[in-house]
This record gives sequence, structure tokens and C-alpha cells, in this order.
Amino acid sequence: MEKIQPYTVLAVDDNLLNLKMIEKSLSREGYQVFIAGNGSEGRTIAREKHPDLILLDIEMPGENGFEVIKKLKEDAVTNPIPVIFLTGISDVNAKLKGFDLGAVDYITKPFHPLEVLARVRIHLKLSIATNSLIQNQAAKLLQVAQAQSAMLPVPENYPAARFGAYYKALQEAGGDFYDILDISAHITGYFVADFSGHDIKTSYLTASVKALLAQNCTPLYSPRESMKMVNAVLREILPEGIYLTACYLHMNRSTMTMTLVNAGHPPAACLPVQGEAYLVNSQGDVLGMFSDAHFGVSRIKVSKGDRFFVYSDGLVESVGKKINWAAGARRLLPVFKDLRSFSFADAPGQLIRSLSAENKTPEDDIVVLCIEV
Amino acid sequence: MDYKHLADQLDMDETEFLELVALFMDTTRNDLEKIRQGVSCGDFSRAAAAAHSIKGAAGNLGFTQMADLAEKMEYAAKGRSFEDFDVYITALETRVDALIPT
Repeated sequence: MEKIQPYTVLAVDDNLLNLKMIEKSLSREGYQVFIAGNGSEGRTIAREKHPDLILLDIEMPGENGFEVIKKLKEDAVTNPIPVIFLTGISDVNAKLKGFDLGAVDYITKPFHPLEVLARVRIHLKLSIATNSLIQNQAAKLLQVAQAQSAMLPVPENYPAARFGAYYKALQEAGGDFYDILDISAHITGYFVADFSGHDIKTSYLTASVKALLAQNCTPLYSPRESMKMVNAVLREILPEGIYLTACYLHMNRSTMTMTLVNAGHPPAACLPVQGEAYLVNSQGDVLGMFSDAHFGVSRIKVSKGDRFFVYSDGLVESVGKKINWAAGARRLLPVFKDLRSFSFADAPGQLIRSLSAENKTPEDDIVVLCIEV
Repeated sequence: MDYKHLADQLDMDETEFLELVALFMDTTRNDLEKIRQGVSCGDFSRAAAAAHSIKGAAGNLGFTQMADLAEKMEYAAKGRSFEDFDVYITALETRVDALIPT
């Protein structure tokens, strides 16, 4: 008979008494517990043993809990492991910082062993449910049999999203596409992506990605979490060698905050109402290639009238002229600025016209979105 | 001290709880030594970290008076003061020594 593997929990705390208490209360419920007396030892054990969950103290000498979780989340091996903070700090900012760095929950000290057990259980269940959700969504999407043609949202149908779009595919079935997501009354998601191939297969996959975005870009998930879910399912369904570069811009017009998740995509450009245009550089892995992908996230406070340009590499990359993304994007900054006199709806078309006037014939599919706050 | 009651509160049997008490005595004496060293060389953060450690452990076992004393030391040290530390340290030591009669 096959031996049942116990769930494993790693506890990291500089106080041995706390570690022993956790060890006792969890091991008697059937969990295997690893303990570490400091942050660096904790990270080593996390890499080697790959526990199902980590309990992490914040205030520790040497590497504190914030530094530890940051490193755990940057490491592809330990990134997916849920982390619960143990903290004596009642400061709400410390808790928010913990969540921001990727913690799933916190337990305040002094803790009761039964509370630790209850939280460990619920987060293991959630982790299992999320993994099963990913498998489930992947299975459903594999059944999507028909490619849909008219899949690009037109700005007129999304007045609250305040965007203009230009789309041009070199071939009938383009590798670029974009989508607009009404997440809530004040939150809109803008997704621009480029498949690694340009054939009918990628066009068919666009339908799947759209369905995935609709399922995962919801108020339940942070922008980074949405992309991680999308990535996890794409990993299951994309054919060998096919991946996406993507830029997901999450605009909250209530908190006036823009969050941008970059997955191997050219940098977006920000044109503030006041100040100079600049590139939002945040690098990340492509979608659908790595199970533990890391995505660059930038968060910017915005003002009414600020504009963002999100586009595919066809706009900034010229194989013929050997111009790469970064150089191409920088060259466009003054052009974006000159578009101020045009409405956000007209800006993408005007941008392409100005570039064509300079005889810069596109060598790839192109999609350009101009989003105004 | 009613160990049976404290053990019940933590859903443990008394033997398990006493093992933790013994461990608490060791770690707390160790932390008190760190506080002393912090005081003698003017290292506030070292003293604050050790007091924080005692506070958490004492609180977890239900030793609220000791947790309160440790908290006072932690806040004082974070505010760069060692005022009354000799009193706090003695009070904590007395309580730790009284935990399990030898």
C-alpha cells in the first residue's frame, strides 16, 4: 500500500519556545514540521524541503520576515509556497506590507496553538483548491473548439474604460490581441498580448485567453495574482513552444492607482498631465512558459487626464533597422507627447499615421492602446 | 501557578506543557542575558529584540505578567531608554526561577 505523504509546514522564528509550540500542536495533527531559528536557515529549508506552507515570524534578528518573504517570492522554487506571518506587531501597515509582499495571512502573537492549526488548515485547503481550479479551468478550455473572429473589444462599447485602439494584423490570423475587462464600476483591466507564433493556432488560442481573463481578472485577485492564475492555466493548455508576452494594466479610478503587470512585454509609456513622458519599466517572465513565473509589477498614483500607451513589440521593434524594444520605446516618448492635442480615442491611429509618414512600415502585427485616466 | 489550567487553555496535557515551560525558562534566561549585554554596551536594538522574544514566548504560554514586563522593556529600549531595567530584569528572573520549583 502506498504511504500517505503528510502535509509539511516550515516554521521560522528566532524563539525556540514558539517553534516547539507550533511543532507540537501541528505534528500531533499529522503534519510534518520543519523548524528554522532564523531567516536564512528558513530559506534554505524552504528550497530543500519545499514545504506545503510556511509560518514566518516578522521580527527576527538578521534577516527579518519581510526580507525573507521577499527573497522567497523572488525564488522560482519557493515562490508558490503560501506564507503566513507570525507577528506581535499590531501595526496595520506591517500587516499590509506582509500581504503586499505575497503573504496569504497573518497570525498575531501571542498565538493559540488551535488558531495556528485552523489557519494552516484553511490555507492548505485554499492552496489545494486553487491548484484544482487551475486544472479544472485548463480542462474546460481545452474543449473550446472554435476560433472566434470578432474578439477585439471596440472602444464605443466601453465608454467608462476611456481608451482608443489601433489594431493591424500582418496576416489574417494575427499573433497580437487585446482585451478590456470591466472588473468593477471603477476598475478596468487592459490586456495587450502577443503570441510567439502567427498562425491559426494562436488565433484559436485567443478565445481561450479571453475566457481565462474573464475568469481571473476579478476583484478577488490582485493584478499579479490574476496573471499568475492565467499563467498557470496557459502552462497546461498551450502547445509546445507557444507562449505570450503580455502587459496587464489595472486602472482603479476610485483610488486613482494604476498597477501594471509586465510579462516579457515592451514597456508601457506614461504621459502624465504634468511632467515628462516616461517608460514604465518592469520586467517579468512570459506567460505560459514557466509554472513559477515571476512578473514585474509597477504601481503608480495617477491623476485625471494622465495617459498610458500600451502596445505590442511591432510598434517599437524593427528587425530591418535592428532596433530593440528599449531603444524603440525611448524613441517614441516625444511622439507620445506630440499626441496630446488628439483625443485618447484618436491618439493610437494618429500615432501610426505619424510613424508611417516617417516611412516606418510595420514589420509585425501592431496593437496600440491609449488609456486616459 | 496552576499549570493544569494553563495547559488546558492551550489544549495540551500537563506533561507537554511542563516541557514547554522548561524550554521557556532556558530561552528566557538566555534572552535576559542578551538584555543585560545590551544594557552594558548601550545596544538598544539587541535589548529590544531579546525583550520582544520574551514577550512573545511568555504570551504564548499564558504568562501574562512576564509578557507585560517584557513589553515594557521592549518599548523602552525601542525608545532608547534603559530606565528601570535592573528592576524589570530582577522581576522577570524571580518569576522565571519560580516557574518550576527545584
